[in-house]
Amino acid sequence: MKYLRLFLCLVTLSLTACMSHVFIDTTTRLQVENKTDVTILGLDIISEDGTSVQSWIRDAIEPGEKSKVVEEDWVGTFKVRVRFEKWNGKSLASIGKLCVYSSVSRVYNTLAKQGEPNVFEKEVKGCGEEDVHMIYSETTLDFEGGSQYLVVSQDEDGNVAFKLK
Amino acid sequence: MKIGLNKIFILLAIMAGVAFADPIPAEALTQGGLVMRDRQLRDIGLVMRGGRGGYIDIGYTYTPSSEQLQLKSKYGVHDGFAFRHHYGIFGSWVLDSISHLGFLTWYERAGWDSQDFFFFPHYGDFAHISSVLTWGFSYTNTKLDATIALGLQHQNLEKAGWRVYPDESDSLLFYWGHARYKNVSFQGSFYRNTFQTLRFSLELESRELYGGAKGGYKTYLPNLSATVYRRKDNEDDKNFVRLNWEQNLYKQTVYANVAYDFPKGGFHSATLKYYPDPSRLMGFEASCLRRNEIGGSRELLWGGAIDFFVLRLAYNSAFDYDNMFRAKGTFIAEFHIDLGAFDGKFFGLGAAKAAPMETSNKNFDLNKFMKVRAEQQNLGSTKVDAQGNKVIEAKGIRYEKIDAGSISNEGGR
Repeated sequence: MKYLRLFLCLVTLSLTACMSHVFIDTTTRLQVENKTDVTILGLDIISEDGTSVQSWIRDAIEPGEKSKVVEEDWVGTFKVRVRFEKWNGKSLASIGKLCVYSSVSRVYNTLAKQGEPNVFEKEVKGCGEEDVHMIYSETTLDFEGGSQYLVVSQDEDGNVAFKLK
Repeated sequence: MKIGLNKIFILLAIMAGVAFADPIPAEALTQGGLVMRDRQLRDIGLVMRGGRGGYIDIGYTYTPSSEQLQLKSKYGVHDGFAFRHHYGIFGSWVLDSISHLGFLTWYERAGWDSQDFFFFPHYGDFAHISSVLTWGFSYTNTKLDATIALGLQHQNLEKAGWRVYPDESDSLLFYWGHARYKNVSFQGSFYRNTFQTLRFSLELESRELYGGAKGGYKTYLPNLSATVYRRKDNEDDKNFVRLNWEQNLYKQTVYANVAYDFPKGGFHSATLKYYPDPSRLMGFEASCLRRNEIGGSRELLWGGAIDFFVLRLAYNSAFDYDNMFRAKGTFIAEFHIDLGAFDGKFFGLGAAKAAPMETSNKNFDLNKFMKVRAEQQNLGSTKVDAQGNKVIEAKGIRYEKIDAGSISNEGGR
């Protein structure tokens, strides 16, 4: 009976989640290092359909520099978009969207190899909204929470490479 | 060696339960309110079958890993915990020999947060926490075998992360009513002047607990209920009806439960339940649920659960899929108590018979009690001497000054 009470107390204690706070991180403190030779304009989390964007790192990161540490609630697996000022690579996919008299024409260039993080150039013009010109790369990263360090670099093929530590 | 193997199997099962778990969709969380409201009213309907005595239900789901029930939002998969905390309490007072006035309150808080908790949530950016409180009064007349219950239902949104959830009403007030005559009951919940659910239940099964038969063909009659749900789909009212059929298959210990949707939807779920005792304090269940996938494709979800009175362990069970944001692919533990009582009988929700209890028939007799007590108090001053005579020892000596006349009178006695 004595042990039962003790057991019930322990169960209650662990259920109050006093314990899980000790070993579970609910936020990720992210720092990005730019090892490419172009400026990174920012890092965002984007929705899978690409229509919703939540910025994470808002400040530009010069080549060879590190960003500030920004803490956000992103713990899990998310699609990350890194925006560049320009890109000096050869395999560059371009997504163009040209709106003429409300008819939409799209041009997709799928030079980039599938499944690898690569750099895209997106151009939207004359669609009634703000014109968009963006050079960016997308990848899916697994944030475990706590302090995480993302290195963005360029490999010899001219592709962008991400390394999350 | 045998124990070692068992442990390995349990560990493997737990690992599989975590590794193949599917994240819960954000849309399921925003629909949590109506699921909670409906289930509370269903429970209340079952408790009102008796409408007297008392009932208590306390439960807390426990998923130890933050990767067990992740959240699937449009941005990806978030680590965290889905939770469901609930209680339901019903108590009644006897007004006269046939009238019982009761008060009931049902509360449930469910959702998803990045930390697990008991009372104080973490309120992360992607948390969705909502609660439903149902309360009301009931009146039962045992001569007529009828119950009427009325009350209010509050649905409150505690927190919905602005990044992933659509805008919802902060707090909604519904009202509900329940009327039962013998084994026929009618229940409705309303928002302003529109109905939300209307339920008609017919319990044909004869239950000993409510004065029915102990066995025989009458206990094999079905329990039927039809619920009309109000649903809005593209501004049009697309109401649908869910039929529930509960069928005793063997001695009120094996039951089948089938849910069927009209006019669209068709088969929803089927559950086979085995209660070792008809009091339903323990149970085993196997369930099959037809999932509605986006794009019209459908698949069956097979699962089961074991209920050991205070702990319920479930894997892919239809109940958890429906009531815990379509959770599947993982073990869900729930610590709970579910106990109803009247006339000194104890039973679980929806039971046919009371739990077998070893009760000695204690009829309290005040006179007998006082006599026994008086004897016990005198025990210290009464002794039996060697000849078998009772000897009463005086505890105090009192001297009284009296005149001679009274002495002669005393002596004459």
